[in-house]
Amino acid sequence: MRAIRMTMVSVVVVLAVLAGIGWAFHKSHARSALLLADIDHVSAYPALAASARARGRRIFLDQCAACHGAAARGDRSAGVPDLTDRDFLYGQGRASEIEQIVLHGIRSGDSKGWRLAVMPAYGTARPSATEPLKPLSPAAINNIIQYLRKRAGLPHEAASAALGGPVFSGSGGCWDCHGPEGYGDSAIGAPNLVDRIWLYGDGSPAWVFRSISEGRHGRCPAFVRRLDPVSIRQVAIYVASLVTGGKS
Amino acid sequence: MIDRLLVAGTRRSLTLCAIGAVLGLLIAGFGLFTARGTRMAGMPPEDVAIVNQVPILRSDFNQQLRSLDDVSPSEATPAQKRKVLDDMIREELYIQRGVELGLTTDDTETRAALLTATESLVAQNALASVPTDAELHDFYKAHPDRYATIGMMALKALVPASRAAEDAAGAVAALKRGAPLAEVSRRFHLVSTGKVDDGIEFYFAARIHLGDAAFAVARRMQTGDVAGPVAGPDGPVVLIMKDNRRPVPQPYEVAKSRVSDDLISAKMAQLTKANDRFLRKRAEVRIAADFK
Repeated sequence: MRAIRMTMVSVVVVLAVLAGIGWAFHKSHARSALLLADIDHVSAYPALAASARARGRRIFLDQCAACHGAAARGDRSAGVPDLTDRDFLYGQGRASEIEQIVLHGIRSGDSKGWRLAVMPAYGTARPSATEPLKPLSPAAINNIIQYLRKRAGLPHEAASAALGGPVFSGSGGCWDCHGPEGYGDSAIGAPNLVDRIWLYGDGSPAWVFRSISEGRHGRCPAFVRRLDPVSIRQVAIYVASLVTGGKS
Repeated sequence: MIDRLLVAGTRRSLTLCAIGAVLGLLIAGFGLFTARGTRMAGMPPEDVAIVNQVPILRSDFNQQLRSLDDVSPSEATPAQKRKVLDDMIREELYIQRGVELGLTTDDTETRAALLTATESLVAQNALASVPTDAELHDFYKAHPDRYATIGMMALKALVPASRAAEDAAGAVAALKRGAPLAEVSRRFHLVSTGKVDDGIEFYFAARIHLGDAAFAVARRMQTGDVAGPVAGPDGPVVLIMKDNRRPVPQPYEVAKSRVSDDLISAKMAQLTKANDRFLRKRAEVRIAADFK
């Protein structure tokens, strides 16, 4: 009787261990499958994508929500972007691009991160630490703001806007990053200035004045040393799946 | 009977021991060869190649593919993938060879790049940290002067044509009594210095244009005030303030993004300083006698 009980216990232990090993192999296989998949086409594998999104959401809430908010809507008072609005400051919103941002960050100190452009502080004696830019007077800044409002189809002062155009496209150097039409450049993270979507504040002249005079240089940390590659990929897939509204 | 039972018990014990040993080996082997960072068996899925134990990350490969050919891994042809991978392996081999040859010690550009990269690495912990709201509030309260609007002013800076201090003082007195500017200008032959005639300007620009002494007087003036004469390179200056917008403290909510930047920068500076101390402490640095 005792022998039978011992045998039963042994069988249960063996089965439990085998189940554990099987589960570990399964997990390892799922991890490999996610890393080997083309992240931009992961939706072709619904089960893989769904599981990545579910896990990615937990990671997002744990690591990213402190800045971006649980609903990923950002915080315009602090220049934290809305991740759901189809307006992409860096890249085109592809999951692979989001993965690169999560991996290496923005102005994060990681040499592979995005760090090409910084908005100069034109209301200071030395607007840029790297470029030989001249400061702008408050009047010139106001003229640029009126010019941008005109281009965005917003109420503006025509005379002031006429003076702002040449500064935008010339001495101010704004065109260099934001483009001659003010459409921005997602290759360097220069925002579109005429689409009525604002990263900082509500787009009122006062907020834009602050951006031009004080400069901007938002940061996103690099997670390459904080999260494993699978977690990073999962959170990127989750964030890419959040894009629902806004401009196309 | 007893002997048979003893033999059966021993056999069962040995069998269970053997099963336990096999399972233990299986678990240990699995853990050993699949643990994160293990590069002993097979190719970890996060890598595309391993060159002398140095991995080439799949994410870097994908990024390179996108940068060079604007294709994703599933869209790239085998030739495109091979070319990118070959180039990355070549790069890794040359970097490893460069380290062997001592370029990190000899080559100025390599040293500069290494210095920047190491400094960034040290600062990464600070950059990766997300300050809590309480930390931000404390930092904001500790540095109230940093979080204010940029001051601006528009003023007239006039000097008497005679450059005489008495004329300037007379003009100031007359203006303070309420005499019209046009009349006072005529009487004392006041002319503009020409340095602050462009309308409203930021404080830093006004300081440059007026000079430190006149700016120190000007920034204390209220809109409509007359002050002077202040001695300057153009002569005794009469200041008439048209519009003085002093820096106004920004509420925490408005200043939050700058507070966050400044706090992270402060943390980075602290970390760098601590790292400097640590490196010096553990290093053996010998200094020539004439530099001691």
